[in-house]
Amino acid sequence: MKIEFTHQPGNTAATLQLAQGERCTTESGAMIAMSGGLDIETTTHKRGKGGLLKAAKRLLGGESFFLNHFSARQGAGEVVLGTALAGDMMAYRVDGDALMVQAGSFVACEEGVEIDTSWQGFKNLLSGESLFWLKLSGRGQVVLSAFGAIYPIEVDGEHIVDTGHIVAFQESLDFSLTKAGKSWLHSMLGGEGLVCKFKGRGTVWCQSHNPGSFGLSLRPTLKRRK
Amino acid sequence: MTYKVSVTGYATPNAAAAQAAFAQAFKITPEKAAELLTTLPRTIKVGLDADTAERYCQALAKMGLNAEHSHHDAPAAKAAPSASATVTSAAVPAAKPAAAAPEAAPPPQPRAAAEQPGFQFRIDGAPDFAFLTVQLPANHSIKVEAAAMATMDTSIRMKTKLSGGLGRLVTGESIFVNEFSADTVAGEIGIAPGAPGDLAHVYLKGGEVLFLQNGAFVACDPDVTLETKWQGFTKGFFSGESFFLIRASGTGDLWFNTYGGMIEKEVDGEYVVDTGNIVAFTEGLDYKLEKFGGYKSLFFSGEGFVCRFRGKGRVWVQTRTSGALLAWAEQYRRVGKEA
Repeated sequence: MKIEFTHQPGNTAATLQLAQGERCTTESGAMIAMSGGLDIETTTHKRGKGGLLKAAKRLLGGESFFLNHFSARQGAGEVVLGTALAGDMMAYRVDGDALMVQAGSFVACEEGVEIDTSWQGFKNLLSGESLFWLKLSGRGQVVLSAFGAIYPIEVDGEHIVDTGHIVAFQESLDFSLTKAGKSWLHSMLGGEGLVCKFKGRGTVWCQSHNPGSFGLSLRPTLKRRK
Repeated sequence: MTYKVSVTGYATPNAAAAQAAFAQAFKITPEKAAELLTTLPRTIKVGLDADTAERYCQALAKMGLNAEHSHHDAPAAKAAPSASATVTSAAVPAAKPAAAAPEAAPPPQPRAAAEQPGFQFRIDGAPDFAFLTVQLPANHSIKVEAAAMATMDTSIRMKTKLSGGLGRLVTGESIFVNEFSADTVAGEIGIAPGAPGDLAHVYLKGGEVLFLQNGAFVACDPDVTLETKWQGFTKGFFSGESFFLIRASGTGDLWFNTYGGMIEKEVDGEYVVDTGNIVAFTEGLDYKLEKFGGYKSLFFSGEGFVCRFRGKGRVWVQTRTSGALLAWAEQYRRVGKEA
């Protein structure tokens, strides 16, 4: 699978070129355009697993994470992918290691990549920002997106990143949720809430802007829901 | 005091790569770029302020081109736009003689551009914040999407016209297209689309027809006819966009915009585009609305309905949609009544 990024960094689109017989998996809603001959299947997990009932259950459970699988069975083709928010994209090759990805940043991956949606991550904690994480492992290329620019941070020792700014990180890193300030009260009042403290060696990819902050800044101007 | 920017030579041994980068940056074909950069020095921009001129030089250096900027006095700047237009866009005064009425003789024009009729124009800020500047010759006018005029010379007058018929009421598009005319003296008009994104220019030759997604229209020559086209329930009902497309036909310039980046795709055979991402397409294409994948995909894929194009033609696709942004913002709405 060949990945090409266009319109970087403001309104990035990823074009995935599939050779005949190749397959790719994308986040639901990411497809902008595609070749006419590709086959499509929608599932909750890996291809061939999870029925319609299970999908509906997940939707009701508030986890609307669905995946579209494109396969170039009849001949080579392309899939063009975009996101809802403005920003950049990046590619990463998983090769036996594992990558933790914030669900909103996942765009696509090759067939050899395993997607584990059951990893709870920080979810059970009082994060206030209910992030949902994917664990990507196996072998193959992965496409990730960000709100704004993407920059890597090489951690050697300790580093702190606000949870809303994390795009992905290598599993080789230990992580724990902690408060940003000295006391819980200061952390909450300071608007930082919870931050993630990484330990060890590995890379964390960050996004320049926090989607949650942008959403909250729109809140006063958005019409109320009944 | 204005400045002009000239390309003086190649900073890299790989001239072809520099030309390719130049072509991409100025949105012209590689052939045209090669032609322009054969005889050097070549003036590529005039009438710039010092900062902008410096930025152009830096951008050109990145492409592997040696460039310099120099002072350039006002009368010459008036004479030179034909040179600037050759690279920034396809436009030349030849077809509209009034456009080129300078006191001094214009510099020699490259042939490639001279064959392109239409208004002289410039697109700046592309791809993220593109806006359009059109030079209106005396006794010429231009049709502009209502409220899209940003700046203009005082010599230009505005007339509001009902265009596209009452259909435009239903498309959600303002039914008014304003006509700006330079009655006695030539003038310049700056046009900015509502959404941040890219701009495309097409010169419609007589008989060519282009369909625009509702909301994509920016401006056109008065000789281009705009009509709204009822899509019927089968085509428009589920698209989430509108029941209408704007049909543009006739002869002349046409500009349209996207929200986000713009992908121009030559279709030969079949191509599928999410309905919300379609910006425009040529008439020769047959199009059909269909569900994305199976029924499960219809409800859970996040795509819903897509448009399948068949045949030979061109489709313009946008990399973002305002609908997706709104859907994302939905989760941030407050619940309940005003306190």
